[in-house]
Amino acid sequence: MSEALLAIDGLGVAVRGAATLDGVSLTVGEGEVVALLGANGAGKSTLLKAIMGLLPSRGAIRLGGAEINRLAPARRARSGLGYVPEGRRLFPGMSVRDTLLVGSRASGRRAAEHLAGVLELFPDLRSRLAIPAWQLSGGQQQMLAIGRALMGAPRLLLLDEPSLGLAPMLVDELLARMRGLAAAGVGVLLAEQSVARALGVASRVYALAQGRIVAQGPAAELRRSPVLERAFLGADVALSSPSRISQPESDR
Amino acid sequence: MVTALQLALNGLALGAAYALVALGFVLVLNATGAVNFAQGDLVMAGGYGAAALVALLPVPGLVLLPVVMGAMALLGLVVSALAFFPLMRRPATAVFVSTIAIGLVLQNGALALFGPEPRTAPPAWNSEPLRWGELALSSQALAVVVIAALLVLGQGWLLARTRLGRDLRATAQDREMAAALGIHVNAMIALSFALAAALAGAAGTLLANQFFVTPTAGSALILKAYIAVVIGGWGSLAGAVAGALLVGLFETVVAAAVSYTAASALLYGALLVILLLRPQGLFGEAASRRA
Amino acid sequence: MTLTAEPSSPARGLGGDALWTILILAGLGTYAGSLASPYGLRVLTLAGCQALLVLGYQFVFGHAGALSLAQGAFFGLGAYTTAILATRYRWDFALTYPLSILVPLAVAAIVAIPALRLASHYFALATLGLAQVALLVAVNGGDWTGGALGLTGVPGIAVLGEVVRRGLPLAAVVWGVVALGAWASWRFAHGLTGVAYVVLRSDPIAAAAIGLDERRLRFTAFLLSAAYAGAAGALQAHTIGVVSSETLEFSVMVTCLAMTVIGGSTRIAGALIGALLLTFLPEWLRFLQGYALLAYGAALLAMIIVAPEGIAGILGDRFVRRRRAVELPSSEPVPLRGSKSATLEARSLKKSFGGVVALDGVDLVIEPGEILGLIGPNGSGKTTLANVISGLVPPDGGVLRLGSRGLLRLSAERIARAGVSRGFQTPALPPSLSALELVALARASATGKIGFLASLRGSDAGRRRRRFEAEALDLLGKVGLTAEADRSCGALPTRLAWRVEVARALALDPGLIILDEPAAGLGEHEQSELGAVLRDIASRGIAVLVIEHNMPFLLPTANRIVVLDQGRVIAKGRPGEVVRDSAVIASYLGREKIGA
Repeated sequence: MSEALLAIDGLGVAVRGAATLDGVSLTVGEGEVVALLGANGAGKSTLLKAIMGLLPSRGAIRLGGAEINRLAPARRARSGLGYVPEGRRLFPGMSVRDTLLVGSRASGRRAAEHLAGVLELFPDLRSRLAIPAWQLSGGQQQMLAIGRALMGAPRLLLLDEPSLGLAPMLVDELLARMRGLAAAGVGVLLAEQSVARALGVASRVYALAQGRIVAQGPAAELRRSPVLERAFLGADVALSSPSRISQPESDR
Repeated sequence: MVTALQLALNGLALGAAYALVALGFVLVLNATGAVNFAQGDLVMAGGYGAAALVALLPVPGLVLLPVVMGAMALLGLVVSALAFFPLMRRPATAVFVSTIAIGLVLQNGALALFGPEPRTAPPAWNSEPLRWGELALSSQALAVVVIAALLVLGQGWLLARTRLGRDLRATAQDREMAAALGIHVNAMIALSFALAAALAGAAGTLLANQFFVTPTAGSALILKAYIAVVIGGWGSLAGAVAGALLVGLFETVVAAAVSYTAASALLYGALLVILLLRPQGLFGEAASRRA
Repeated sequence: MTLTAEPSSPARGLGGDALWTILILAGLGTYAGSLASPYGLRVLTLAGCQALLVLGYQFVFGHAGALSLAQGAFFGLGAYTTAILATRYRWDFALTYPLSILVPLAVAAIVAIPALRLASHYFALATLGLAQVALLVAVNGGDWTGGALGLTGVPGIAVLGEVVRRGLPLAAVVWGVVALGAWASWRFAHGLTGVAYVVLRSDPIAAAAIGLDERRLRFTAFLLSAAYAGAAGALQAHTIGVVSSETLEFSVMVTCLAMTVIGGSTRIAGALIGALLLTFLPEWLRFLQGYALLAYGAALLAMIIVAPEGIAGILGDRFVRRRRAVELPSSEPVPLRGSKSATLEARSLKKSFGGVVALDGVDLVIEPGEILGLIGPNGSGKTTLANVISGLVPPDGGVLRLGSRGLLRLSAERIARAGVSRGFQTPALPPSLSALELVALARASATGKIGFLASLRGSDAGRRRRRFEAEALDLLGKVGLTAEADRSCGALPTRLAWRVEVARALALDPGLIILDEPAAGLGEHEQSELGAVLRDIASRGIAVLVIEHNMPFLLPTANRIVVLDQGRVIAKGRPGEVVRDSAVIASYLGREKIGA
């Protein structure tokens, strides 16, 4: 079996003795959109931050077959990880153009090529290159944040709750473009609170609750099952159903 | 009329030199969130550097300038290694204290090496005043304004238009995010210190001709830089320059009209009033809430 | 001074600090009595003045954690007050000395009110400006201050007509004052007031949650530092006989800073060590005379990096008898009557941050003795609502009442005292305090027994402190943490930390407790214990507001549930009903498009 683009095995993050993430294992393939579901507090953002190296973690993280656990965030970024954090975290005073260019580690000509590519993906930004980031609308800011991450030509894009604070229609548009990205071979790991949206764009889904994966499987199947509803609102989260869908990934 | 012009020029020259100090101060502040209390003493070090060099190389100040700036940049790296990086995970006020310590070392090192006698640096090019009709303007003052302006513009160009400058700005605004984009933030921080020290060195070289340099010259300077930054808005580069020019002009005019003491007293008084009434400065955003 | 990420723990009991101090004083006495030359005695006397200065600086720099650069200015003010009054008006020591303390005190009081509102950089800057103004005034004060040359002929200390002779008598008097100051400092630092300052500088929000008045504490520390500085300056004036503008130069301030950091910024022994070391070393190492300040700078830098607690910190709290919880005779029951409990009523609460609407007209009622769960998706405004109710964030509009009392314009600590107690999402427990200390502090704060005067009177120490600790033990027992009461909060795993947080919240004898995700990171067993504790609290008439995501925990525990979405209440009622509400399901799963 070919090595997945991103392979996480037994990832754990602990804050003062409490496991915020425990035994998380997942994979993302090239050109795949994988969604992370869960209520907030479940650990989605923590997981993405740990993959990016912004939080210390135990367990193995492999990108394109190479272990990146011991690398600092800057090195992980240069290895092909793109990160779009929750709340976007744009640089307040920077113009759109500068924000995008900051995302690129490449030299002048290559950077210009990447810029052209990003502007094609998000034409709304083209007419706003000189405008400071804080003046953009929420949707444009989200596009800018994604564009900034894409400037680094990442192999895997980590997206943390891009739909927060955005109008539904915008979100759908955004997610459609994510699918386009995936088609171009970029892997996308999307943390999303809105289950419907996530199921609409992802091919596979992992559900997190209290720091553990409680359900996973192809999006099409999970859409039809009550498993997710129970995972978020139900009293019986301890899924005892023997169905293949709800079995956590066993060790190979 | 002529003296007014000369006075204005002198004020601008002083303000321009202050601008270099304030600029370096804000660079480090933005990059690290920490106050570099030794910035004034770095200026003093630059002045002494120029004074010492001219004994070996009797050349105009303009030629010495890049040499001094280069040496000061290295000193800036040393300062960051001693006073900042070991304290990175501590609260920012620890760096305040460590830079006070560095300032102390610089001051008394200068005292030990050069003694308490004031020294001068060579003028930028020559000491002949420029004559134009009836006007005789000090060429040194003019040189200071021109050189400082070039440096400020140069630094502005660096930050706004180069990749390095973008990376520096990103580090200054959100260190963690900058790292997540692949920027080597520690290198950027060290570079900010080096730049700040280089600018301080330039200020020292320029100032040490008209105003003799003594080991304790830095203390007054840091306060002036502080005032400039407070006036212009804490963290704003353009504001720091504007504030510095205002301070320089004010000091020169009041000193000529009344006395140097009065100028100082009014400046400090103005600082206290601004701090207590409008700490965000005349141009800055509210930044005074206790974190 | 927050030089470290985790401030030092206050010495417990009759600790190492007092012992070292007594040892040092005894050693000095021996030296002065038998070994010292007249010159040595003079240096010793001057060191005493510095020691007093540093003791004062510890209040603002060490305990309150504020970088004040005006300590030298207050020192100079004291010196000049004595010099002017004694040489110009020939006033007696009995008059000049108190005034030399009062003048800096007054100046500090005037400056403090606006200055202490400033964030740390600005505060340092303001104090620096003050110091510069003082220097300018001294140099340009003409006849009053003697200008740059200063005033000469300051008489010695005269008590009851007798002038204290130079040499041993003067040294004894000065060090007597130092001992007095050290005693007051010790009472301050080693009672629960000292513990309060630890919390203040490590976590101001937690401090407010305990009901500590941050501003009053900082103000007191600043004033104390000025008073001690004035006392020290006056003594130096009498010792040297001359006061010049040199006293107000920045080098005095920096030396004081160096002594404080090198000696130790919160320990009495540290003040003595720092002052003695940096006064005597230049004498012993005469060849280094010119390099003294250079050495101070290097030493200061080294100390901050390597040993921010100073030499006293390295010596540590040896011989410390930590009073263990089990040594307490018995726990003192805290009758949680829920006497402050009343119905909390919130109506039309609105709050926006910038352009983002966090609360959009929220109505909420919490009855005494009920457990109300607050749920909602990310960004729905739950934490903002909790912040508004507990006073950390002022709302833009609406009504908030606890019983008949309006809560809207009250500060966080006033609301805490009024009966609304808040536990935080990641327990912000000061890592170096033990659970017992923290809860005891909360009890003392609730009864107003914290502060300098309280510490002098001993209201926060000795028998009374033991009573607070006994009460704390009772509260910890109510949350099941008796066995771990002595562990430092930093060493507690999250599954136990929540208990301390609840105990702390209970210490204020509240009417309403707000808990933000208390079940986070807890296993199943812990969760059911938490539920039991909450039910116990509610049964005493105290209302509990629980913000949670963890449904398996919340649904069986809460009496009622309120659901927030995008700043509005979209459902409320019994847990079983709410969870089946289609609007709630839709908001959580975003199914409106798919049309489940």
